Amino acid sequence: MAGLFTADIENRGLVLDPRTKLIVMITLVVFALGGTGSDIEAVRYGTTAVSILPLILLMTAKQYKKAAVFGILYAIMKSAEIFLVPHITGVALSIIGLCCLIFVRLMPGLIMGAYMLSSTTVSEFIAAMHRMHIPQQFTIPLSVMFRFFPTVLEEFAAINTAMKMRDIRIGGKNAGKFIEYRLVPLMVCSVNIGSELSAAALTRGLGTKVKRTNICKIGSHAQDIAVLLLTAPLYMLWILGMIGVIT
Amino acid sequence: MNEIAAELKDVSFQYGNSNEGALHRIDLQIRKGECVLLCGASGCGKTTITRLLNGLIPHYYEGELQGTVSVFGRSICDTPIEDFAGIVGSVFQNPRSQFFCVDTIAEIAFGCENMGLSETEIQKRIDKTVADMCIEKLQNRSIFNLSGGEKQKIACAGVAAMLPELIVLDEPTSNLDHDAINELRDIIRGWKAQGKTIVIAEHRLGWLSRSCDRVVYMENGSISAEFTGEAFFSLPAEKLSSMGLRAVLTANNYLESKIGLTQIKPFEGIEKITLNGFTYSYGKQYAIHISELAIPKGAVIAVVGHNGAGKTTFTKCLCGLQKHFKGTVNIDGKPYRSKDMVRLSYMVMQDVNHQLFAETVLEEVMLGTDDTGEQTALDILQKLHISEYKERHPMSLSGGQKQRAAIASALLAGKKLLVFDEPTSGLDYRSMECTAELLRSLHKDITVLIVTHDMELIDRCCTHILHIENGGIESECSGKGAI
Repeated sequence: MAGLFTADIENRGLVLDPRTKLIVMITLVVFALGGTGSDIEAVRYGTTAVSILPLILLMTAKQYKKAAVFGILYAIMKSAEIFLVPHITGVALSIIGLCCLIFVRLMPGLIMGAYMLSSTTVSEFIAAMHRMHIPQQFTIPLSVMFRFFPTVLEEFAAINTAMKMRDIRIGGKNAGKFIEYRLVPLMVCSVNIGSELSAAALTRGLGTKVKRTNICKIGSHAQDIAVLLLTAPLYMLWILGMIGVIT
Repeated sequence: MNEIAAELKDVSFQYGNSNEGALHRIDLQIRKGECVLLCGASGCGKTTITRLLNGLIPHYYEGELQGTVSVFGRSICDTPIEDFAGIVGSVFQNPRSQFFCVDTIAEIAFGCENMGLSETEIQKRIDKTVADMCIEKLQNRSIFNLSGGEKQKIACAGVAAMLPELIVLDEPTSNLDHDAINELRDIIRGWKAQGKTIVIAEHRLGWLSRSCDRVVYMENGSISAEFTGEAFFSLPAEKLSSMGLRAVLTANNYLESKIGLTQIKPFEGIEKITLNGFTYSYGKQYAIHISELAIPKGAVIAVVGHNGAGKTTFTKCLCGLQKHFKGTVNIDGKPYRSKDMVRLSYMVMQDVNHQLFAETVLEEVMLGTDDTGEQTALDILQKLHISEYKERHPMSLSGGQKQRAAIASALLAGKKLLVFDEPTSGLDYRSMECTAELLRSLHKDITVLIVTHDMELIDRCCTHILHIENGGIESECSGKGAI
């Protein structure tokens, strides 16, 4: 089960504080996606270096396959940008150049997102939101929603199996109704589970006026500090560039 | 002992979306420290009573409530449901839909966190609950990797950690096997020893025989009889079945039958279906390891075995649903490989909602068949007694009728092997009897395999037992092992 907030806690490798992950995410969005400070050479190199960070994080979470796939994709796009784009012209330039531009900028953030979602548990997520003083009215519906996704996926798999046995597939006689046949049982099952889930939540006191506590231990450890130290130089280079110390 | 834990006074209730009342003028007192079993046929109102006790009625399920319900002296109507969190604990039927976290410890802590207890207090309670229930092995596991029985234990632990005085269980065993039920029984006895008040609504009765103080028998929304535990559990089986209840004790425990295929009823067919090379492994362990097995064609075969014995893998292979499976099935002199078995066999799933797709029952049955006429479809519906519902939406049918619709579609598609996954879980006596009747009456061309823990069902309709243990059918070598 590797999906949204369903980290496999039996085999998860290095654990980072969700807030550390969020800081790395913001850094990637500001520099890689937003292109902040890209007129300063040192910041450009720094951005490329930090862009590789999510891949390393994926590996620390023992998600080697995902890391390899993303790594190869990113390498192809980046090398195309460096080696191919300067040598082409015309229509090819606008198409390939645009693709490279979008992917090279977008991918680090995407990979980081994949890492965040697959390495954080719901309880860590709630704990982090709590520490950041996000109100309960916002975090509780979110956390129930995240809990709900893997269940819907399980239902979906069961329905797929059932369809296989009935020989309903794309290109068959009932191709036009393929989506309908899938959605109707999925909705019925999801609604049933959703209502049972809320009933169970109520009997266990979700939504009391009492302030909720959290036993999930999150906090800065050595690994969090290490990761933050890796991102910090980028901001420093940028500031130095802005005030004109380096170019 | 004579203090009142919960009291229903002249209570009637009607669900908002129904025309009939679910409860009629119920008077019931539950004393502190008592263990009460609510029983009766499906739809008799026992679940409704559990919902009144934990406040889901009227706070979650809407409807018209008359009379007064009080739990530990507090009126259920005037107290918000969250305030009962630390007083009444509830365990539900479906383990899939009562979890919020992905790991077990967070799940046990969930209720306590909602109550706003301090971290150290929660940790203390978790440690105590884990020790009380002997679930050290389940700590720090992912919920998705637990079996149904283990999930139900975690659900119980999550409730116990909140230290409720009253614990309400609504059909907690309907997804559990024999061993898991025994473990649940021990948990209930533990709670009883701690002096907690327990109310259980259940179809399966046997496991509670020595734990219950009082049994309340309900019919059509009214209490029609009350027994002491002792008196109830010495009622003869005929009496119970005439009340629409499942047997307390079954004469045969087929889990103790010899490993492999055993005939238990007269059976005439001589043709065989042979399964070859039913070997499959997840990683380095064999999940199943059956090199050759001949099963009589047209028989009704119960597939039994303990949890994790390989029953599910076996049936998945048989239905052609297991990827990379290399075995073959020989039927009518023709060999079928894994890919072709999908056309040969059909599985009726435990949650039959997963396999009903179309807008009307008739369309549902005709779906996926290429050139069969409507008349044939109608004939099959007639035979399964659901022809009057042919224009209804399959999802609007009752559980038993849905099951029939699924069977009808399999028959029309010309399937030769029907596999049922726990067809009677959570069914009362009459519905179980109907399912057994239906399975017996299927055409002799169809071979039926039933994965079940329901000994009563096996007694009623199966001609053979296939006992799988450790992925194999040979008793001497315990099949499973490293490759």
